[in-house]
Amino acid sequence: MGAALRRLRRIRPAGGATVAAMIYLALYTIYASSEASATSVFGLTNLFNNTVVLAIASAGLTVVVLAGEFDLSAIGVIAIANVVMATTSIGILGWFGALILVLLIGVAVGLLNGWLVATLQLQSLAVTIGTMIACEGVALLILTAPGGQVNEAIVSTLSGVLGVVPVALVIIAGVLLAWLVLVRTRLGIALYAVGTDATAARLSGLSVERTKLLAFVLAGVAYALAGFMLSCQTGSGDPRASHTLLLYMYASVAIGGTSLMGGRGGVLGSLFGAGILSVMQKMLFALGAASFYTSIFSGIIMLVAIFIHNISELLAHLRRRVA
Amino acid sequence: MAPQDTPSLAEPTARGRAPQVNPELLPAALVLTCAVLLIVATKLLNPGSSFMHQLDAVLVTSIFLVVASFGQGLTILLGGIDLSIGVVVGLAAIMVSTLTNGRDAAILWVVPATLGFAAFIGLVNGLGVALARVPPFIMTLASSISFYGVGLAFTLGVAQRPVAPGLTSLMVARVAGVPIPVLLLLGFVIIATIFQNGTSDGRKLYAVGSSPGAARVLGLPIAELTILVYTLSGLCAGISGILLAGYSSAATINIGDPLLLPTIAAVVIGGARVVGGRGIYLGTFAGALFLSALDTIITVLNLSQGVRDIIEGAIIVFALLLQSERWRAARR
Repeated sequence: MGAALRRLRRIRPAGGATVAAMIYLALYTIYASSEASATSVFGLTNLFNNTVVLAIASAGLTVVVLAGEFDLSAIGVIAIANVVMATTSIGILGWFGALILVLLIGVAVGLLNGWLVATLQLQSLAVTIGTMIACEGVALLILTAPGGQVNEAIVSTLSGVLGVVPVALVIIAGVLLAWLVLVRTRLGIALYAVGTDATAARLSGLSVERTKLLAFVLAGVAYALAGFMLSCQTGSGDPRASHTLLLYMYASVAIGGTSLMGGRGGVLGSLFGAGILSVMQKMLFALGAASFYTSIFSGIIMLVAIFIHNISELLAHLRRRVA
Repeated sequence: MAPQDTPSLAEPTARGRAPQVNPELLPAALVLTCAVLLIVATKLLNPGSSFMHQLDAVLVTSIFLVVASFGQGLTILLGGIDLSIGVVVGLAAIMVSTLTNGRDAAILWVVPATLGFAAFIGLVNGLGVALARVPPFIMTLASSISFYGVGLAFTLGVAQRPVAPGLTSLMVARVAGVPIPVLLLLGFVIIATIFQNGTSDGRKLYAVGSSPGAARVLGLPIAELTILVYTLSGLCAGISGILLAGYSSAATINIGDPLLLPTIAAVVIGGARVVGGRGIYLGTFAGALFLSALDTIITVLNLSQGVRDIIEGAIIVFALLLQSERWRAARR
């Protein structure tokens, strides 16, 4: 097992994040060269505010994907988190109480998904469609139509700046830090092992069930946090606001170089993937392109990123052969 | 380690003793029975209408999902997935309504053109998956996002146009008391079942899906089959989109979005495995019918949208639970 772990450590740092980071920088450079405000504090705050929800949600999804499963429940959790924030963050709970409540909801949905997938061994791609629809139903019960109000204190604080650093960037950095801690724990290593080969992981004494369960719980917490941040961006509740997010979450994860088969990739790549999708929108807008180009290019960027990942993997493979 | 995992080592021998009757027929029949029970229950809740009327209503509204799920089922059978179905349905619907613009004469060329475009998107997916080796999940997601942009460009500044009345009346007309969509549905199910479970191409799909490595050794035309399957999936989504445009008599580009996830759910509820190589079309059909009947009964119950969603989500989970019990029982 020691050797296997060493090998895992060796392949992890690449994780596809370098490719995504390079694409991100290239797009940002084009954006900055055609839009003067891109490098200002205001421009950066705006950019990261646009990125943060997708970034956190994609980070959570990455953990489940690494463990070799799918999770479509994210938009349901985000919807519940959003309507809970819009209905409780001003009243008795206050914003902090509402945040705790929202995170607990994320844990609960994660536990439910994890139990269904890891313990009962249902197919995650299908069963999380069920939990997603049910969660959206819960969100609609809490708030039947768009409305409500999120505590003004957090709306202005969390979409603003901390000194000169956008708060959204601080939160993204916090998620990254949590990930970097996670990969150094036993659970982090187990995630990769289970995602690569569940049978081998089981035979080497890892609990596949517990690993997958915890992956879903961590993802649930991330979705809840994403819903919290969404509420801080919009300032109100909308049970349908998260609907368009799902496919873009998978796009972020794929662009970031995480294999949808599990076992390869990491959160850093997904954060850049989410960043790419947001900065591209800004870039095309700055270049004066019609809005539909954003959609066309999102798909193309996905394929380009996958293509570069494949090429770089092939090169790495050849290099190992030579060595 | 979960105790129920241990017998999985003995699975190959258990499969070797498989009975002559296709073991996949049982779950398909079970889901089909549940769907019929749901339709009966709908009738009981709604005593004013006859059973045949309820049956017709469910069958007519299920046709979109039934047709689109066939393509999804084929891609899942190959161990892939088609995430572009929702967008292709929307694009086909918008294309057929924009181009016919209320004129029946245009149907003759617009319908083939629309089907051709839908199949073309499927072909692009198939080429990407088979030749460029892009994972199906990513290929179909990327193409759907890009083609959605193309659709947005296509409809830019165009107000919603009416669908040709010929297509609209097709969805309500009857032949010998049977609605035409129901006849179309039956015809489609028969052709689809024959293709998937009666032709050699269909059998090859099972071989490729259950063991791509072995299929390659056998010299099966994996790339051609993959391209065929994704093209068919695009074509089915196109048919579904045209019918949907006729049914709703106007189309928006997002009209197909609510169909994407149910196609996956229908295939899996029907007894297929997401990893491929398993499941028959009758199961997928039963799954799609079940979901449509569920939608109808929940509508009849006159509940709030929130309660509806919760019930629907719970029933999807429950149906999957029953299917997995069957898998576990089969392993023992």
